[in-house]
Parts: sequence; structure tokens; C-alpha cells
Amino acid sequence: MMLALEMYRSLPRYIAARAVGGRIPGVLTGPAAPVRLVSREEPRPTGAGWARVKPILSGICGSDLGALFGQTSLYFSALVSMPFVPGHEVVGVLEDDCEDLPKGTRVVLDPVLACAARGVERCESCAGGHTNRCDRITVGHVSPGLQTGYCADTGGGWGGQLIAHRSQLHAVPEGLSDERAVLVEPLACAVHTARRAQVPDGGSVLVSGAGAVGLFATLAMRELTNAGRISVVAKHPRQRELAKAFGASDVLAPDEVPARVRRATQAFRLAPERGGEFLLGGVDVAIDAVGSKDSLGSVLRVTKAGGRVVLSGMPATGADLSPVWFRELDITGTYATAGREAFQTAFELAASAPLDGVVGGRYPLYRWREALDHAHSAGRLGTVKVAFDLRSSR
Amino acid sequence: MSRPGFVLEVDDRTPPLIVHEGEGFRLEKFPTGTRVVYSPESLPGLRDVDGAIRQALDNPENSEPLRALLRPGMKLTIAFDDVSLPLPPMRRPDIRQRIIEQVLTMAAEAGVDDVQIIAALALHRRMMPSELQHALGERVYRSFAPDGLLYNHDAEDPDNLAFIGTTDQGEEVEINKRAAESDLLVYVNINIVPMDGGHKSVPIGLASYRSLRHHHNSHTMVHSRSFMDHTKSAMHHSAWRMGRLLKDHVKIFTVETTLNNNVFPAPYEFLNKREWEWSVRDQASMLAARRGLAIAPSKLKRRIFQNVQAPYGITGVHAGETEAVHEKTLANVFRQQAVEVQGQSDVLIMGVPYLGPYNVNAVMNPILATCMGLGYFFNSYRGQPLVRKGGAVILYHPVPYEFSQLHHPSYVDFFEEVLAESTDPATIEERFEKQYATDPWYIHLYRTSYAYHGVHPFYMWYWAAHAMDHVGDVVWVGADRRAVQRMGFRAASTLADALEMVSGTVGRSPSITYTHNPPHLVADVR
Amino acid sequence: MSPSSNKSPVRFVKETVQEVRMVARGWRWGRRPLVPRSAEPFQPAKQPTVFPTAWARTPIANAVRDVVQRVGLGPLLRSTVTPQVAGLDVLTKVKGPVLFVANHTSHLDTPLILCSLPDEWRRRTAVAAAADYFFDTWWRASGSAMVFNTFPIERRGGTLSATPGDLLDEGWSVVVFPEGTRSVDGWVSRFRMGAAWLAVEHNVPVIPIGIRGSYAAMPRGRGWPRPGRLPVRVRFGEPIWPAEGEAPRAFAPKIRDGVARLLDEDATTWWDATRRAVRGDTPDPTGEPVASWRRIWAQTAPPVEGRRRGAWK
Repeated sequence: MMLALEMYRSLPRYIAARAVGGRIPGVLTGPAAPVRLVSREEPRPTGAGWARVKPILSGICGSDLGALFGQTSLYFSALVSMPFVPGHEVVGVLEDDCEDLPKGTRVVLDPVLACAARGVERCESCAGGHTNRCDRITVGHVSPGLQTGYCADTGGGWGGQLIAHRSQLHAVPEGLSDERAVLVEPLACAVHTARRAQVPDGGSVLVSGAGAVGLFATLAMRELTNAGRISVVAKHPRQRELAKAFGASDVLAPDEVPARVRRATQAFRLAPERGGEFLLGGVDVAIDAVGSKDSLGSVLRVTKAGGRVVLSGMPATGADLSPVWFRELDITGTYATAGREAFQTAFELAASAPLDGVVGGRYPLYRWREALDHAHSAGRLGTVKVAFDLRSSR
Repeated sequence: MSRPGFVLEVDDRTPPLIVHEGEGFRLEKFPTGTRVVYSPESLPGLRDVDGAIRQALDNPENSEPLRALLRPGMKLTIAFDDVSLPLPPMRRPDIRQRIIEQVLTMAAEAGVDDVQIIAALALHRRMMPSELQHALGERVYRSFAPDGLLYNHDAEDPDNLAFIGTTDQGEEVEINKRAAESDLLVYVNINIVPMDGGHKSVPIGLASYRSLRHHHNSHTMVHSRSFMDHTKSAMHHSAWRMGRLLKDHVKIFTVETTLNNNVFPAPYEFLNKREWEWSVRDQASMLAARRGLAIAPSKLKRRIFQNVQAPYGITGVHAGETEAVHEKTLANVFRQQAVEVQGQSDVLIMGVPYLGPYNVNAVMNPILATCMGLGYFFNSYRGQPLVRKGGAVILYHPVPYEFSQLHHPSYVDFFEEVLAESTDPATIEERFEKQYATDPWYIHLYRTSYAYHGVHPFYMWYWAAHAMDHVGDVVWVGADRRAVQRMGFRAASTLADALEMVSGTVGRSPSITYTHNPPHLVADVR
Repeated sequence: MSPSSNKSPVRFVKETVQEVRMVARGWRWGRRPLVPRSAEPFQPAKQPTVFPTAWARTPIANAVRDVVQRVGLGPLLRSTVTPQVAGLDVLTKVKGPVLFVANHTSHLDTPLILCSLPDEWRRRTAVAAAADYFFDTWWRASGSAMVFNTFPIERRGGTLSATPGDLLDEGWSVVVFPEGTRSVDGWVSRFRMGAAWLAVEHNVPVIPIGIRGSYAAMPRGRGWPRPGRLPVRVRFGEPIWPAEGEAPRAFAPKIRDGVARLLDEDATTWWDATRRAVRGDTPDPTGEPVASWRRIWAQTAPPVEGRRRGAWK
């Protein structure tokens, strides 16, 4: 038996979460939380290529919080199997030998449960190496679930043990600390984002949001592309510092966006009768790393005609799409990572980037309410990433 | 008879003194021994202003009478100082209106048909129709504006600029084409401070950015000691060179006017008086004003202050050849504003009022407040600054983190972007000025809306450069902490705190000078 | 600072009180304004401001004053001293305006004269009072203008203010104390030229008044008459007209003689005084140049009426 945080189906709680949303987070990390700390059966490897992993650190991701706080679109409800143990940003230790990886190897997880893990014939996407676009994520050996951490069978990072398929595992190089290793999965996503953004040489970039997603995207853009000016929209002082450290050319407050972007790109600024100001001209590439309606609306309005808007956070609904049509914007989604190469790059970034102190909160599982509360207001508290420390929980 | 200006030494008999701070004022009890510089009392205005104008036009300095210069078929252009003068705006009828009406009457009598009237605003914002009407009067406006013959100068209109030549120092002179091609250019000025007028009128007021950048840059501004003394101002030297070059190409007939210090209308006359002479009525009006302002919503406060129109008297009208006229004008200005002060002090205190040249009908943003305090007021000296090198300046102003999007769009960006990077004028000039000067959006707003040119905030900042170079410490009393920090200054809530903060620079018992301004004054520091 | 706390009424009231207190202290409310020492050279010479008293002669003020004098001043005066009035008959021989000229030894003199006058005269009489004393502060000035119908005159020479002349022209009778100040020892001191000048200039008669005993009742330095309802004598004399073309300098001694004669008459008899006057040896009202205690001693004795002769001796 193991201790784990379990997310379960509860209509009243879901409704409560939708209704209250992020306004009264105390309610959702308190009495109305749709998660509970339980003792449950440890997941067992189900076939060849599967092995047990004992998590060491497991990050709390924005999408986890979205699910908890009822902000996630119900679209995803068909892609998960309840009850599941969340947690997909995991660094852990192999409990079994797994093909070429011996027992005791430190590993990080590529959480996507694609064809290979499910033991089905590879779909077109997987065959092409785009495992994140796998079409078979609801079938096969394991229950539906787009990722480890959304699947009832595999367990997740927020529990004492999980099972993972060899295709998901990446050995952590010697010398990379656990704190850095737990950031590899989000960094890999950022690497993927940077690739998808296709920034022209010297092009201007706007990153809206300076949480983990935005900051890592900034880092990846600076390291991996020839972007010119990278402007980051940050609310809180610590985020501003980190954004600069991660390679931002300048940092803006949310309400300064149209004015400052206009200045930087010498665009023309117009004020419609209702709604926010927008630019004719603007940045080449904008990355929405918040996923809120305001953030998306804002980046759509300041991207130049023919530019690209990358949705890096799980997007909200309701933004005005007129600029997409009128300015012929490319909207690019970016979900998880495509394959091993991104992880290798992420390992390199994790080793070299100024990531000390980025994991700003480590909580044992039994203090999960504090942990979630901290994660929910991480930006204000000067924290980028909050993680569960599973070793001290056992 | 009005009394001369003098330096008060605060003693135990001195009542609290007025200190202006933005849209309001406070009563401050200064430490004993503080020197307070008072400007001369308002001089009596001319009784017959129209007669004085006629006299000046008929008997000009060093020039033929205006009538003799007018002939049928000629091209006559009249240029005038824009909305940045005078401060506060003048109660109707404005002196510009009175002069231009007489000039036009003479022109009509002489049979001149081709007349155009241009607001010489350089890179300032365009004047609104209401402001043009206020400055020139309804008659002039109605006769010329509808046909597009009364308009604002446009320093970014390549089709309407004429390149005149370069001075011996390589400065390019480029001015308004219509003015350059006129047979006679009449310039009507209001000389409110000694910095105005002379060759600053045409070569600067009607110039293009290309021409302006030769004297409006951080180098000349640091080396102007001070702007109020054109013989010691690098900026004026450049303008004078341009003016002398220009004189050979265009016939310029300058009309300069000077105002007295009658700045505050009823019921604010107490602000014009020396505090210990306040009657009970003055004290009551002051208290009523203070308490009223304390509860007034900020919009109402702004309206009250922006609606102040000064009942100025005219102290002189001179016309003719620019330099000869300007000499007389300066004598008048100094007669009204000069105060002799013995020696410098460790701390200079100034109260920045609600209005500067660049925020008529708008909020005074942090950059303009700085320019007003460290630019205008600090530079209001002849000889040497009132504060010693390495001393401290204490300014009063709320410095609201607020900008007019209509008038000051480039200021916002300058504040957010440029000052966040650096506050050093030379660095700023090198890294950002060009970008701002050529930003098409600012140019568009300058030309079509009512916005200051993109490069204007740089000039404001350069203007404060001499002061920032000279003093060791700048503290703002009652200011928005966030706004002054961005500009590299510090904020204090009271004078005592401010003096405490500067004690590291000037010690525990510094000598203090407070310039009781407005009304305007120029300190002759010996 | 949240905007709500900024606009809270409690705070507003508190700040208002603070500011009023600051102004009250800074501008020395209730005391004399002071000029900072370093500003003194730049202070314009204080223009003598003439306290406006025209309001005190408006019908309403006249009506109020009439009541105040009749029910307030008169009874008060009679309750503290015993006024004895003589010679009022002369007022039937002249028509106003006239110039009442009296010797001056006490603050009692003005109310004594006013309360002695018949009502119709009293209502049309104004009193010249020293600008530097009575018109020094607004409250003293308005008080005395209200109750006594005073108007300010400069006693330290200089130009005579226009007021007394204007008043005479308007038909007001005016009370003038030509000595310019209260006597130090009760004896008469030098008469100034003002009264003579006024009479000549405006061609009005002078009615001399001799007052005896007011020094004894309330000398200089006392704020209230001495207890005991001391007798005070007020004697009106024959009107003195300035002759045609007479210079003020020549007319002035006549006024002084008139007052001196009245004082003599009051101390003795009309007949004796008249005879002495004709002989030219009316006693000098300035008294003999003896030790000052003797001068004061003589004046502090309650005045006795001139030799009262029994009908049957």
C-alpha cells in the first residue's frame, strides 16, 4: 500500500470548483478539494517494458491546478480515467530493471502514454516520431489517459509509486541534481514550444506570462533560436528578475503590453470603441504562456499581420478571434514534447541554465493542502515551481 | 510702487510659507535661518497697451517702421509663440491677439493679400482650435483658420520645410518653407522668462527636427549655465548662430512682449503676496482653498487649476530687429524677475506648481515635473546655481504616476522603457533618441493629433541634465515613491524627512535656500 | 493610503483643526502681526489707515446709539458720579452745527458732555478721538464709534484729517478737546490750533465747556470712577464766533480764554468771573508753577460750586 493524492469524480465538487474557480482558492484546497490523500494499492507493471518508479520529486504543473480548480475544458474529460493520481513532472528511481536501464537508475518521465506504452500498433503520428500527437491514447493495455498522471492504472507523481514504460523513461545524467531534474519535463515542453514557434532570425517575441511555462519558454527561445528582442509580460518582481536572467530583453507589466510592444516594434496603435487597444504591426511571434482569456486576447492584438501566436498554456475559451482572421495570424498549439531529442536538449538546459532556487517549495504529501495553495499563488510568492517531496512522505 | 525682490531669512517671527506642489500647495515651517528668495512685486502694467503696440510698430528698434515694410503683392507670414506661453494662460485678450490684430490692420491698409499665420511650436503639440482662438482672438481665427491660412507649424512635413544652409559650426538650418519664402516674417513673442525670445523664436520655433537636434541635445544642455542667460547658454549660442544665418535669407520683424508677475487671479491673490502681509481675508481664503482641495476629487482639482487665467499686465512691447529688440526685452524681464542672492547654499528647495510649458490642459507627468523642477526652476539663475556643487535639491510635487495619452504618448514609453534602462542623459541619447525621434507612430500623432513629438521627452530629460550633473542628491517631498524611484530620485513625506535623507550629503545643519516661485524669479547669485 | 481613509470625514476635520491652529499660530491671531526681521527694510511705511466710521452715523446706528446712551451710558454715568450741569441755555441761542471745545482731564469728559446735552443736540454730535488710541484696534474703534459716535483724528500734528470738517459741513456738531490729551495733573495744558482752524474754516461758533472734578473722580490711569459718586461739574459758555477774516492763530486764544473763564466762573460766580475777565486777570487755568503734589492736591479736591449765597445772608 502506498500513500497517494487521488483525484476522484465528484460532481458537486466539480461544480463548486467551476463556480468558485480561482477566486476563493482556500475553499478548493480546503473543504471542497476534488483530491484526497488515500492509501491505495500500488500500481503493478502490466507487461513487457513496464517498470516501477519511485518518485523523488514531483512538480505541480499549471494544468494540474487547472484540473483541480475546474478551469480545464470538459473536452479532456474523455481522455482521462478516474480516479487517478496526478503528477507528470517526475524525477524518480527505477525499482526494477527496465530493458537497458538497471534498477536504481534515476529517471525522468516523458508522461505521454502513446502507442508504444499502450502496446498497440503505432499510429501515424507515433510512426512519424510525434508521440505527443498520438491518436491511441484511450485504448490498449492501460486505461484511457493522455499522460501518466491522468490515467487510473499507471499511478502518478503525487503518489509513492508509479509504473512507467521504457518508452517514457529518460535516464538522468550523473551530476544533475534532483531539483534540476524535476524541471526537465517542463523544460522539454519549452524546447518543443521554441521549435514550434519558428521564430525568424532576429524576430521579435512576446511571451505573455512569467510562470514556469513562460519563463522556460523564454529560456528555450533565447538558447535555441535566433530571436531578437524577447519581451516577457510579468506581474511579480521575482518573475521580472528571473525573466531577465533567462534571457528576456525587457519585462513588461500586463497593462503596458500594447504601449511597450508598440514602442519596440514601432507599430501603430488603435483604440476601438470597446475592448482593448490593438496594434497594426507588432511582434513576429507571441507566446501565450498563461492560458487565460485576457492573455490570449492581448497577444492576439499585438502580433503583426502574418505573425504566429503559440498557445503554450492550456487555453481558455472566449478570446476575441477577430485579429486571427483579419491579420491572418497563425495559431500554433504546443503540447508536451515530441520524442527523445527534446529531452536531450532539456537535460543540457537543465544543467547549464540558472535554475537554482527555481523549485521554491517542497512539501511532503501529507501537507498537500499547503502545497497546492502555494502553487496556486506561486507567482505572487516569488516561486516558480512547487514540488512534492515524495521521499519524506513515505 | 512695487517693491524689489529680496531674500528673507526665516526667523521666529516668520509665519509658515506657501510651497506649491502640483495641484495644490502646502504651508511649510522652514528651519530658522533658511533663505527664502522672493521675486520683485508685480510691476505696474502699461496703461495703454494698444498705444504701446502702435508705438513699437511705428518706431521699431533698428528697423524701418512696419508700415514701410508692407506693400501690395507681398508674401507676409506672421508666426507666434504657441500654447506653452504664457503660464498660466493669459486672461483675454491675449497680447498676441492685440499685436497681430494691429499688424493685420496695417497689412490690410497696405493692400497685402497673401498672409499666413503660423503657430511656431517646433516639436510641441499642435494647438487646438479653442487654444488658437484664445491666443489670437475670434476675429483673426475666423478670418484665417477656415481657409487654412492659420495653422500649426509641422516640423515633420518634408514638403513644407526649406533648407537654408549650415552655420560655420556645421549646424543645419531648416525652417518652415512658407516662412522662409516670405517677403516679411513677423514674429510675435511672449517673453515670460529670459530664456525665451531673441533668436530662439524663429530658428527654433519654426525649425525641423533635423535642425533642432544641433542645440537640443544632452551636450549643449549640460553646458548651458544657464538657459536664463543666453550669453552663457550653449543652446542659445547655437540658436544665435542660426539666427544670424537666417537673417540674411529672410526679413524678420520681431515683436517681443513682457509680462508682469500678476499671476494669480481672485480668489487666489494671496499666492502673489508675501505671507506675513496676509490679511485675515487672505488667511481665510488660503484655509478655504486648502480645505476645499483636500476634499475635491482630483478631476475637479485639475479643472480648477487648469482654468486659472492670469490677469497679467504688459510691462513692455518692443519691435524691430531681433537682437536689438531682445536686449530691451531682457531688461524688462530682469526688472520684473531678478533678485540678488549672496552666495550658494547646501540645499535648494523648490515647489513645483501644477503647470509647466508642456502640460497646458493636461496632467504634469513625472518627467515634466522633473523638467520643471530641475530644468526650469533650477536653471533660473545667472552667475552660478543657488545650490553648491554636490549639494542637495528638495522638490515638492506629488509626481503622480500619470500621463496624458493624448498629449504625451512618447512620455509614457520613455518613462517605462528608457528610464528603466538608464537615467544618464548621454546614455539615453545614444541608445534611444534616434528610435524615438523616427518612430512613425509618434510622428503621426505629432502631425495629426495633439501629441508632443516622440523626441520631446528626451529634451525634457536633457534639460534636467545640468542640475543632475551639479547636485548630489534629489529628494521629492510628497511624491509617488514608485514614480520618482524610476527617475533615480528618492521620495520623502515631509521636509524634515527629506533633510534627514540628504544629511549624508550636506550634513546635519546645512544652509538652505527656498525659491518662492511662482511668481517667476531669476536669482542673480553673487 | 487608501482613498477612503484619505477622504474620511474624521480625518478631514482633524486636518482642518490642525491647519487652522497652524495659521492661528503663524499669523498670531488676536495679536499684532509681525514682520520677519530680514523683511523689515522692504516693508512699506505703514500707511495711516483711516478707520471708516461713516457707518456709525447711519440712521440705524444713530437709533441704536440713542438707546445705548439713554438707557446705558446715562444711568451708568449718574450711578458712578454726580454730574452737575450749568449754562445749557446757550444752546437755545445758536443753531447747530457748533464746535464744542472743552478742557480734558478724564475719560469721563466725553460721556459727561454727551449726557449733558439735550437729546436733539446729543443726537447730532460726534466726538473727535485720538486715532492712535481709540482707533488702534478694530474692536475698540468700532465700540467707541458706536457708543460715542467718535471719529479718528491724528493728534501728532501732520495733516488734519478731512473728517471733522466734513461732519461740520454735514450739520454734525463736533466735540473737540484741543489739548489733544488728558491732563496729567488736572490743570489745563496748551491748546492746539485744530479747533480754531476748524471754526474759522467752516465758520461755525465755538461753545466752550469747562469741566471740573472729573480729574478728581477718575484721573488718568483709573479704569473706573472713584467710589462715592463724586460731583463733576460741566458748564457751557457763550458761543464764540470767529470774526470775518480772522486768522485761526488770532482766534485760538479766544477759545482758550472762553474755557478759562468758564472754569473761573464755575469756581466763583458769573459776575466775579466777568469782572475779572474784563480786567484781564482771569486765573490762568494752567495753574501756578508750584510743586506738582500741590497742583494735584488742588485738583483732587471735589469741586465746590461757586460761593453759594443764601437768599438772606
